[in-house]
Amino acid sequence: MTDQTLASHVPAPKPAAKPARGIWRQGWQRFARSRTGMLGLALVLLVVATALIGPFLAPFDPQDQSPMLDPGAKAPPSWTHPLGTDRMGYDVLSRLIYGAPTALAVGLGAMAIASLIGVLVGGFAGYRGGTTDEVLMRFTDFFLVVPMFVVILAVVRLLGVAIVNTPFESVPYLNLGVIILLIGVFSWAPIARMTRAEFLRLKHQEFVEAARCIGATSGDILFRHILPNALPSLIVIIALGIGGAVLAEAMIGFLGFGDPAAVSWGQLLYFNYEALKVAPWASLSPGLAIFVTVLGFNLLADGLTDAFNPRAKA
Amino acid sequence: MRVFVFLARRMIFAIVLMLGVSAAIFFLINAIGNPIELMMAETPGMTGEVIERMKGYYGLDQPPFTRYLLWLGRLIHLDFGTSIVYNQPVGSLILTWGWQTLKIQLPAILIALAIAVLFGVTAARRQHSRSDFAVMGTALLGQSLPAFFLGILLIFLFSYTLDWLPSYGAYSTRNPLWGSPTLDALWHMILPIAMLTFFNTATLTLLMRSNMVDVLKSDFIAAMRASGIPERRVIYVHALRAAFIPMLTYLGLLVGLMLGTAPVTESVFTWPGLGSLYVAAIHQLDYPVIMGASAVIAFMLICTTLLTDVIYVLIDPRISLE
Repeated sequence: MTDQTLASHVPAPKPAAKPARGIWRQGWQRFARSRTGMLGLALVLLVVATALIGPFLAPFDPQDQSPMLDPGAKAPPSWTHPLGTDRMGYDVLSRLIYGAPTALAVGLGAMAIASLIGVLVGGFAGYRGGTTDEVLMRFTDFFLVVPMFVVILAVVRLLGVAIVNTPFESVPYLNLGVIILLIGVFSWAPIARMTRAEFLRLKHQEFVEAARCIGATSGDILFRHILPNALPSLIVIIALGIGGAVLAEAMIGFLGFGDPAAVSWGQLLYFNYEALKVAPWASLSPGLAIFVTVLGFNLLADGLTDAFNPRAKA
Repeated sequence: MRVFVFLARRMIFAIVLMLGVSAAIFFLINAIGNPIELMMAETPGMTGEVIERMKGYYGLDQPPFTRYLLWLGRLIHLDFGTSIVYNQPVGSLILTWGWQTLKIQLPAILIALAIAVLFGVTAARRQHSRSDFAVMGTALLGQSLPAFFLGILLIFLFSYTLDWLPSYGAYSTRNPLWGSPTLDALWHMILPIAMLTFFNTATLTLLMRSNMVDVLKSDFIAAMRASGIPERRVIYVHALRAAFIPMLTYLGLLVGLMLGTAPVTESVFTWPGLGSLYVAAIHQLDYPVIMGASAVIAFMLICTTLLTDVIYVLIDPRISLE
């Protein structure tokens, strides 16, 4: 594992004199000491806050092209348009704010799908072992080796033509939901591997034996005893995955295969990149938004590693 | 002997993976719809007869499984079929455009490795110092900075604001720099290579630093220092060798990441590489190119993984061959 702690010179805490606390509370105390983790949490909260309350504060409607007439397209920042207007006469700040819920929907949605598949596949493989494990893990290896982004790109476009099957002129694109589904379906492999490793580690521990002794069913053992104990490790990889999914959607949008009906940062870049020279504010601000979001989730994951898995670091 | 058994097993697994990946790419793309029908969906006014003849011309009138076997058979002979848009063999397209990709990605990896060793070792030797903090902070930020956004920033700064470097393409269409095509090509490579290098360097430096920190704590380093071997030699020969081995695994991943995101990074600079070829093929539904290019990218990934595994085993005797 990489050593990313900027604050690792803080002396190691003395062995706790107090009675043992819950894994989550202990984790939070360690997390609060990780400077990178707290910065990540702050950035993520900023994005979440923008997504939740931003739309009520946004000066313009994201579909409002009226600024096209007044300051005109590609107008530099001003009091009415703090981040200027873009190539199509939208207010950049408003589009940026409305991009936050889209990004979070992509990140959380894709990771929800990926976690569901990953935990089921990995958990089943780890718990059953033997041939089941072998087969499922080879299947996972396969998904690890396929160049995800390259495949998603082709599928997004071809599915777009096949599903929408529009007449000429209106270009067929997929809606955001299908893009989220595709990103999720192609990014569960690391989660499956992690789940399997955790389940292998936990399934022979005493508390699992104890549960089995009092007659708990397989389902009970898997979901009520093993899974909660595997969660801390899984949360780290899921936080990383959220950043990755946001980035993947941004890249799909940037290449022009996104959902034109959704307001997304990647597409803002796609529409405005040509005008980078004349209206840099319209390209640089969505790019910065993507950066901040990805950075937030990556740093959050880093802090979570400190919190739940301190031995993984040097 | 055990090494050979291990290598043979990895090879067989790689071949099975390649077969699986090729089948997945083929059936995924074909399950969505017959390529000709998809193309026609965007071109009105095609009669049924023309469509049937097109299908016959590209061999698309046969059942999918037969087509897969035919495609696979030709793939083994490195024949990827003919591009529908360019009307050229896909293999030669991939070679021409792939060379351009290699031209920026290979230097980017090598330069990044050199920088990562330099900064990683320096940071590890002065752990918790101000320079360590600076290196780590930059690397942490750099890790999250999307490569394509970095490219946009570089273009904005060096092409548009300062007007030092070209913002797109691999060559000038006229008036090459100082009348020399070679210098002109190098001049165009600077920004794309800078973008990819920065992207690679961030994670490599973090890895190098943490490996080095671990190695410098180990007993054999203390023993070497105690026996009076010059510090430089201890660090740059012995410690570096031990710290470098775990980087190999990441290098394999990195190559995959770079190839996988080439469609985006190359679009930023309109760089005529494999990624741009792929994006153009997807836009134009040039289906032999889509399949050929994705198969080639997937095969390169599998080969890199295999290669890193093999090198790993050959240079580190501690790795168990299970």
